[in-house]
Amino acid sequence: MTPEDIGRRLEDAAQLAFPEGGAGDRAAAQRAEAAILGDLRPVNPMAPDWLHALILVLWFVAAAVDSASFLGMEGLRALGNGQAALIFAALLSAGWLGAVACARLMRPATGRNLGPTAWVLACSLVAVVFAILFHGYDTAHFVQDGIPCLRAGLFIATPTGLVIGLLLRRGLVLNWGAAGLAAGTVAGLAGLGMLELHCPNLKAVHVLVWHVAVVAVSGGLGFALGRMSGEFE
Amino acid sequence: MGSRCIVDTAESLETLMSRYQQADESAAAALVERVTPLLRRYFLLQASNRPHADDLLQDTWMRLHRARHTYRPEEPVLPWIFAIARYASLDHYRKVIRREARERQVEVLPEPAGQVGGGAEALDIDTMLTALPEAQREVILMLKISGMSIEEVARATSSSPGSVKQKAHRAYQKLREILKAKENRS
Repeated sequence: MTPEDIGRRLEDAAQLAFPEGGAGDRAAAQRAEAAILGDLRPVNPMAPDWLHALILVLWFVAAAVDSASFLGMEGLRALGNGQAALIFAALLSAGWLGAVACARLMRPATGRNLGPTAWVLACSLVAVVFAILFHGYDTAHFVQDGIPCLRAGLFIATPTGLVIGLLLRRGLVLNWGAAGLAAGTVAGLAGLGMLELHCPNLKAVHVLVWHVAVVAVSGGLGFALGRMSGEFE
Repeated sequence: MGSRCIVDTAESLETLMSRYQQADESAAAALVERVTPLLRRYFLLQASNRPHADDLLQDTWMRLHRARHTYRPEEPVLPWIFAIARYASLDHYRKVIRREARERQVEVLPEPAGQVGGGAEALDIDTMLTALPEAQREVILMLKISGMSIEEVARATSSSPGSVKQKAHRAYQKLREILKAKENRS
């Protein structure tokens, strides 16, 4: 029995149980027409996904650079040229993936949900880059130095994420959990970007735990907030 | 305000959808007439949705109408419609679960009023479909009853074509066994 045979059997059984084009279909179509034709206004189709992704990347870069220029660029000065190039290339790549995930989640039927992938890849990519570039695993002042970085990163990520949430609402988000995760990831990367520009502490253990935690926590918070706002939609 | 133009019956759903976005009344009506039977059957064939199929259909059309700006003209329209229908069904299911959790202390729940038909014939299709897990059932419904391609189903369900193929393959295996067993009995 081929898939075509099975399909035919299913189609026959479905037609027998619920014949297509019957009175029920006509009545349902009339009700739907009556509901939508009374409120028919022209609408412009949404901009392409790449444009939304570009807007999100520009927003995340602007949030990171603006906040770091206000707080001071000591971190950038402490980095070598090669280190800075590698770190910011990784941040931009992860940010682009997160932005694409957000843009795709704004419209139905745009393919595979990239939200979880963006979050996992963003955390892993920056962690690998930091592990390659930085050394120093002594834990003196580990918590005292770390908490202010985590707090500052999340302080930048929060408004960035809220603005991304407003942009998401221009479309039709069906999976608010995934959209929140993707938005939180991009927002967290803005916070991390600010820390890389501002924080001069280049100990591997510090950046691997406290800086990467900004992206991880921000993504998690975005997911939780997304789920909650999805309940109210 | 809406305008009425002549609709060619062979016009693609994508063209009708684009004209619906431009507030063309006749295109909107033609789209509703062509898509409603597909959506209604999609809801009717899910046993859990059957008593509420017409409400779900109406809810889906309202969602489609509100979100019509999110359709991009160069894309296939059926996955876009079914993605929204799928979430309407999921939201409805969540509401039912919540309501049932609140009403659990009541021993005998009243049967919901059947708005649609489907007696002994529905049992036959139900026997086939209820044997499948939810994800496989959804894929088979979209592929075989709604006539969508693997790529379109993948778009509608936010998954990859590979995953859709795998679910369809497993569903065929199970359906083959059911149909063979039925043939042996008869």
